[in-house]
Amino acid sequence: MKNLTLPLLLTPALTVIVLLFGGGLLLALLQSLGYVPAIGRTDLSVEAYRRVFSDAAFGRSLLLTLWIAGVSTAVSTLIALLAALVLRRSFPGKHLATFLFQANLPIPHLVGAIGILFLFSQSGLLARLGHLAGIIQVPADFPALVFDPYALGIILEYVWKSSVFTGVILLAALQSIGEEYEDVAQTLGANRWQRQRHVTLPLLRPAILSASILVFAFTFGAFEVPLLLGARFPSALPVLAYRLYTDVDLNARPEAMALSIIIAVIITVLIAFYMQLTRRQR
Amino acid sequence: MKKILFVLFVLLLAACGGVSEPDVAEETGAATAVPPTPAETMSESAPEGAATPPGYDGQTWADILAEANGQTVNFYMWGGSDLINNWVTGYVATAVQEQYGVTLNLVPVSDATEYINKVLGEKEAGQDSGGTVDLVWVNGENFRTMRQGELLYGSWSQFLPSAAYVNWADPSVANDFGFPVEGYESPYGKAQFVMIYDSARVPEPPRTIPALVEWIKANPGQFTYAAPPDFTGSAFVRHICYDAAGGYETLLGEFDQAIFDEAAAACWELLNEIEPFLWREGQTYPESRTRMQDLFANGEVSFDMAYNPAEASSLVENGRYPATTRTFVFDSGTIANTHYVAIPYNSDHKAAAMVVANFLLSPEAQLSKAQPENWGDLPVLDPALLPADLQAELAAIPRGEATLSTEELSANRLPELQAPWLTAFEQGWELEVLQK
Repeated sequence: MKNLTLPLLLTPALTVIVLLFGGGLLLALLQSLGYVPAIGRTDLSVEAYRRVFSDAAFGRSLLLTLWIAGVSTAVSTLIALLAALVLRRSFPGKHLATFLFQANLPIPHLVGAIGILFLFSQSGLLARLGHLAGIIQVPADFPALVFDPYALGIILEYVWKSSVFTGVILLAALQSIGEEYEDVAQTLGANRWQRQRHVTLPLLRPAILSASILVFAFTFGAFEVPLLLGARFPSALPVLAYRLYTDVDLNARPEAMALSIIIAVIITVLIAFYMQLTRRQR
Repeated sequence: MKKILFVLFVLLLAACGGVSEPDVAEETGAATAVPPTPAETMSESAPEGAATPPGYDGQTWADILAEANGQTVNFYMWGGSDLINNWVTGYVATAVQEQYGVTLNLVPVSDATEYINKVLGEKEAGQDSGGTVDLVWVNGENFRTMRQGELLYGSWSQFLPSAAYVNWADPSVANDFGFPVEGYESPYGKAQFVMIYDSARVPEPPRTIPALVEWIKANPGQFTYAAPPDFTGSAFVRHICYDAAGGYETLLGEFDQAIFDEAAAACWELLNEIEPFLWREGQTYPESRTRMQDLFANGEVSFDMAYNPAEASSLVENGRYPATTRTFVFDSGTIANTHYVAIPYNSDHKAAAMVVANFLLSPEAQLSKAQPENWGDLPVLDPALLPADLQAELAAIPRGEATLSTEELSANRLPELQAPWLTAFEQGWELEVLQK
């Protein structure tokens, strides 16, 4: 009976993952191969994949998505690291600072995106303040920060949200690491920079790695923020998949599913590559 | 675990409650509706020269009225608007019951495919009479599908007495998204594309496509349109394409790749010509009509557009658009579409269904439907064909200052195209304008 406890405890979680996630992925795979009985298509083929890859828009969307996910992850990890290293110290007002740093945690991405829109669009709050101050005359004078070709608005939103997420993980990691190792290093004559470079950072590496992988995978695969803040073309891969999915022509459904599978595969491969890379560095 | 289950159960209950709510609203709507006055003004005989519907050879409208008395009509329609549902279950149901002894039973659906599949299923099962669906609210692609699947009762709608007020020569009434109506469905209401502008910023809007193109070039960054396949943006692109093709006439009828290629090439050339002068130099387009509304409301662009002539007025009313907002239609006309009601081939209550369709088309119902608090739908009748007193009533319907008169709208209508053209233009725009 005791042997059964572990499997029993794991069953709910595994059921959800296998049935919902695995089942969904399997259905997507089937549909991507052209199996859509609702519209009378039951033959399997890789036609949808061929069409996705031969579309010039796909390449540009892939580059854009990598750019968004890469920059968002790098910038937010850096900010999170700096913030965590500062916030772990004792200083007056630490509680207030930590609270402010974490304040955006419960705010959904969707709300964040709308906030960015209200603040940074060419007729947003900042543009209006600029107009009041006489700096800009018409909306077009304000720099294009949303719907722009460099996806600055999207990156801004992801950095705003992800740096806190990563920061919280790093703070927790720093707490469990404790200060003993650094104290030892200090007694051995290491200065402040050396302690940080050779003691704290290596200890933090697993936390940085797992947090940034999560951020990268999320920013690569999420569609609502690029949909709200992105230019119409090129658009992020998930937005492209969503458009195909909502196409009036049901025959576009296999392409939408093929694109979703491709996104999943790319994320998996990138993560595997990333883990391999960091493992070797050790 | 039990707690979670309980919460889930409560949520489930709440969800079910939400679904059944509209029914309650419908019933109260029916109870409070004021019964209409008997329609003495209506001419209760078929228009002269109209052919009798199939199966009613030699009979008159009075015979059909007699047959309809006591029948029940299951009216399958999109049920997503409480306002519309209440108008049908209240005003219309009460009127047809009292005037003709017909019981109207509204069956709300979320999409036309639901009733199409129902009729199709009955046909496949060989149930050629006693069908469950007696009347459907339909247009466009769904009408085409039902015609092609031979799911509709024959040519009947021109026999209705109220059909005398319909201008059948208007191509946007005689064709349903480019597909000939041929009496297989009866007009119900209209929608029409209008351009929206702020008269304080643009005192004299450009009223032709060439003038608009000139305006755009003279005022860089002040104009844009929602990226197709957005419904409204797609309709705007069709206006440009109609003009570039030298008129819509060649584009009517079945999809023709050769004609499309020629028309589209001229169209893309024009759209690419204005692109550098659009908002954001045309490097991006608003994703949706909602974004477009934001741009106009915030003053980033000087024009907006809508496939509903009354929308600008209601946006002014609720404070989103400036009070100086006005609308206009192009001198060459703007695209309009008509929505209809049709009768499935296997209905046993065709007489009663025709009576309901006739009532929906009657001046009194069309006037009631046009009242903003009832529905605010555009009447499908031609004002010029109405008696003077009804014309005056039509003109007296309260409309926002930004809404054009029914006369001005109906004098400037262009037809919609068949669905394959629409998708071809949308895909072409994406490749040739957006990605270029």
